[in-house]
Amino acid sequence: MTCPYLAYRSEGDGREFDVERAYCTAAERFVQPMRADICNDRYDLDHEVDCEIYRAAEQ
Amino acid sequence: MSYEDFLEGRPAIVTAALTGGVHGKEANPAIPETPEEIGAAAAACREAGVSVVHLHARRENGERAFETERFQEITDAVRERAPDLIVQHSTGGTGAPLEVRRQPLLTDPAPDMASLDMGPLNRYDHLTSENTRATVDALYDLMDERGIKPELELFNSGHVTETYELLERRDLADPVYATLIFGGGTLTRPRPRNFLTSIEDLPEGAQFNTLGFARHQLPFATMGLLFGGHVRVGLEDNVYYERGELAESNAQLVERVVAVAETLGRPVATPKQARARTRPGASAALPAGSGHVRVTG
Ligand code: SF4
Repeated sequence: MTCPYLAYRSEGDGREFDVERAYCTAAERFVQPMRADICNDRYDLDHEVDCEIYRAAEQ
Repeated sequence: MSYEDFLEGRPAIVTAALTGGVHGKEANPAIPETPEEIGAAAAACREAGVSVVHLHARRENGERAFETERFQEITDAVRERAPDLIVQHSTGGTGAPLEVRRQPLLTDPAPDMASLDMGPLNRYDHLTSENTRATVDALYDLMDERGIKPELELFNSGHVTETYELLERRDLADPVYATLIFGGGTLTRPRPRNFLTSIEDLPEGAQFNTLGFARHQLPFATMGLLFGGHVRVGLEDNVYYERGELAESNAQLVERVVAVAETLGRPVATPKQARARTRPGASAALPAGSGHVRVTG
């Protein structure tokens, strides 16, 4: 399951991209590509455990 | 390697780390992510004096990719535009299992070199890139099988010790080629005394590459040049040219470090010289990837 705060956008945070990129609606900014793997729970990653932004937003 | 190597004018190998696996265009729009962008960036860096390109792969939206097929597209784009460059694939992959991290080693031809992270590295607040000894050994064995020269990435002095441990476990190809990494977090604190201690601690005969993160890129590259080492620059490690000013391209960072080398009187290695320095047993004229086993991915 992906993080509920994850959205894919081509605009936001004062930036614009040709291809939609991972955007965090909790932090209100585009996330680093490495963090996007956490947002998507890829590989061994889990947003509930590995992301401090998610943990803070849920507190 | 030492100040004597500088005095003797031994060529310094310049590596460009073009893309990386952490940040992307959200940090600097000049970071190349597609195969076309990475190929063009490699050619521009070759023009500027680079002999090694350190490569990561990305999806179309900039996210990390590890699949052999994506590395193949990128490595083909690089070899097409700059055929004599030494191609170095990353095997780093925070949170990715070993099977995924083996994928970049399976291109055809195999990469000339590949990175080998020598131990743990903290990421964000709750994550560590583990790089256990079992992982290091497994990646090393696949590199050995495919004729790939390992570039040992030493995040801190504990990983210098791990290099000695690896030498106990494996018959590392001569010379040991190690990148000393300086910066924040788990990395060696970027101070000159730590740089000197690190180079003195390396195994006899090892060659070192110097990598300073962010604002430490240029000062540590300069120290590397003065103390007979090789240097790595690029947007993977530093997105700024000066404080508050984003770098325009990887080539811009390469041009600056090459100018420093020229000012200091340190020759910059051609790809042919770099091949001879990193793999003295192999023919310097050997085309990239020659003799490697064909593996379809
Ligand atoms: S950065 Fe964290 S909180 Fe934001 S979308 Fe990704 S996992 Fe969720």
